[in-house]
Amino acid sequence: MTALDLLQKAHFASKLPAAVLERLAAIARVVEWNEGALIFREGDHRDDLYVLSSGHVTLEVNVPGRGLTRILTVRSGELLAWSALLGDGRMTTSAIATEPTQAIAISGRELRQLCEADHEVGYHVMGQVASALSQRLLATRLQLLDLFAKPH
Amino acid sequence: MTTNKTNASGEPGGVSPRTMSENIVRGLTPSGSPAGQVVAEPWGYHTVRIHEITPEVADVATYHLGFDDSAVAVAYRFQPGQFNMLYLPGFGEVPISLSADPRSSTTWAHTVRAVGNVTQKLASSKVGDTLGLRGPFGSGWPLHTAEGHDVVIVAGGLGIAPLRPAIYELLRQKNRFRSLTLLYGSRTPETILFEHELPEWSQRGMTVQLTVDRADAAWSGSVGVVTLLLDRLSLNDPQQTSVFMCGPEVMMRFVGKSALARGIPESQLWLSMERNMQCAIGLCGHCQLGPTFICKDGPVYRHDHLAPFLNVEGL
Amino acid sequence: MPMNSTSSVFLARSDLQLLIDRLAEQGFEVIGPTISQAAIVYDRIHSVSELPQGWTDRQAPGEYRLERREDDQLFGYVVGPHSWKRYLFPPLTTLTTADLTTNGWQMRAADDNPPKYAFLGVRACELAAIRVQDKVFLEGAYVDPTYQRRRQNAFIVAVNCTQAASTCFCTSMETGPRCRSGFDLALTELPDGFEVEVGTPAGEALLLQLPTTPIAEQQLTDAEQRRQQAVDQITRKMDTEGIRDLLLTQLNHPRWEEVGQRCLSCTNCTMVCPTCFCSSVEEVADLEGQHSERERRWDSCFNLDFSYVSGGPVRRDIRSRYRQWLTHKLASWIDQFGSSGCVGCGRCITWCPVGIDITEEVAALREVGHDNK
Repeated sequence: MTALDLLQKAHFASKLPAAVLERLAAIARVVEWNEGALIFREGDHRDDLYVLSSGHVTLEVNVPGRGLTRILTVRSGELLAWSALLGDGRMTTSAIATEPTQAIAISGRELRQLCEADHEVGYHVMGQVASALSQRLLATRLQLLDLFAKPH
Repeated sequence: MTTNKTNASGEPGGVSPRTMSENIVRGLTPSGSPAGQVVAEPWGYHTVRIHEITPEVADVATYHLGFDDSAVAVAYRFQPGQFNMLYLPGFGEVPISLSADPRSSTTWAHTVRAVGNVTQKLASSKVGDTLGLRGPFGSGWPLHTAEGHDVVIVAGGLGIAPLRPAIYELLRQKNRFRSLTLLYGSRTPETILFEHELPEWSQRGMTVQLTVDRADAAWSGSVGVVTLLLDRLSLNDPQQTSVFMCGPEVMMRFVGKSALARGIPESQLWLSMERNMQCAIGLCGHCQLGPTFICKDGPVYRHDHLAPFLNVEGL
Repeated sequence: MPMNSTSSVFLARSDLQLLIDRLAEQGFEVIGPTISQAAIVYDRIHSVSELPQGWTDRQAPGEYRLERREDDQLFGYVVGPHSWKRYLFPPLTTLTTADLTTNGWQMRAADDNPPKYAFLGVRACELAAIRVQDKVFLEGAYVDPTYQRRRQNAFIVAVNCTQAASTCFCTSMETGPRCRSGFDLALTELPDGFEVEVGTPAGEALLLQLPTTPIAEQQLTDAEQRRQQAVDQITRKMDTEGIRDLLLTQLNHPRWEEVGQRCLSCTNCTMVCPTCFCSSVEEVADLEGQHSERERRWDSCFNLDFSYVSGGPVRRDIRSRYRQWLTHKLASWIDQFGSSGCVGCGRCITWCPVGIDITEEVAALREVGHDNK
């Protein structure tokens, strides 16, 4: 399947107009990782962001004294490595494919240029990114509350 | 959540008072009032004996209780989601939901976390010890309202205990529902309750998705809160989907929000609440939430009946 | 003397003792008003001489004082800190007992053989309160056996108010001051005796044993004027129009915070309220661990522990506890039991140590706050 086919099926892109999807597909490519592959390490500089099309990826943070702590699983249809678009390209977690995983990769630099040149595209892309991040923020808050801890 | 929850009736918000009285009259010894009418004796305890103790996870065990009086044992029935009051003389009483197959006929399972003085005393009990039981009380999961639907069960932590009898019943009547899905969130991989049963449930036709809030690298399953599982779940037809949820109140608020965002009608969302239930019969006033008594109008409620009260702090 | 249900008769003041005596002869324990600790309370009485003859009560927010009357009326006061609930729903009850036997723990209902009570001096607002508690304890899915055993045998002699306290607002709650139903007999006190109305066949049967006489037109007019005097003296009002929806949609009104600052969470209002029914059950064990009892005692939604769930209390601040009390009493009570939980007796106003006035709070909640949705 082409990057466009995969993008059309991804939840992340479900609200993007066809014209915008085509512009994205033009700068996208398909990548794959084996189970256990280290996609990136916390602190790495990376240019690509990803939309997973199958498999899952676990995000880990190294906590001194506690070791690697798994904090979130990213699944098919979801966004990975948002720092490549919004941040300075420095990854905030490590990412490991916990099963054979396929993704659509898009260069953050090229996507930024595309959004800059065509604000219509930028509006739609940023809207989807914001929505994905707000969902992740909410989930993180609930995790912080440690809801299932034994009451004292 | 020492006090677990839950039952199955069709009335929005729970069983009708008539059904409730009948349950109680059947479950407990009635006494004749001077006027001649049959009045349930709400404080009537039965002696039950611990037949078996199954350690589950740290601080949590399932107590399989049997009635000493064989006539009571034959008559006792409960609906998935209902709870009993368990009484340890000298220590006190706690509401605990029934956590195993409602069609069982010998012992009655209660899955309990040792967290207060009564449950801690229970945790030090042995097979053969006796305690008091009165019940069953409260409303149950209205499974029949979900007939023909895709059924999604969302459980958080110990909240899976009051849902487990419903899971057995759903699996038994599987072909009356279009599909069965369990979304279960646990704190860590070590605190997953009934883990050994999950493969069996899956084999019998229930899609089981598990997630934990925190894990180390040894855990290859999903990490993240249980609400994410619902966000990601692909739905055939939201209009024909029913959700039964139980867990901490905050979790249920966000599961409700996610379900509504997915287009599931509010009248098809059901949740089981916890408050300080003491008398279990709506007379002591402790477990009120808005206009309802959780012990007799709940613990299982339709989401829209509680929604106005779920977001007000300190109600 | 034959009577129809609308007629009334006259009982001389000197014959009131006979009413008490007949009730006692029929096995009733007579409970009536008497003075104790500078207040008029309800306690066991044997004689008219124990009634608060010539005394009245002066009440205001946070204030209660007994004063001498200019006359020697027996029922010339309004209501005190007690209500009849302490007899129908006792402050402390042993519910069950448990004994450790060779066969394990055996539980049974505790012995409960209450006396047959006759209540003398029940006011209209108190009749309404008894009706409210009947709904709570007798008419739901579960019947409370403790209440039922006491209530079903109770004989009620009501007394119409002929004056009102500044804290009374029964006219707003449509519960008084006139006694209209729920009594066996109802009295209106006159200078030399009582106009007596019959409410039930039991009341009529008792009355037949008393030396009553036909009542004179002038006495009827006098009794009516005295009852009207109580109506005229009521100045406090509560607007109950749409009150359920009003309160349940104003859960974030800034007034809750304001009243929460003044309220001491002392529980007085719930203890003196004639309809508040909350209780908690405690375990009382012997030292050997062979015998234990479940004891029920009055509890209050103002206690911090009241809303305890594993993890802590749900209602942590006084604001939320006051809100629970008021919204339950005036709003969610209607959902639960089909009527208001307030009868307008004014006790919560009088006995509040800081004088919080429920009618004033409702009026304030009616004013749309700047930040309430």
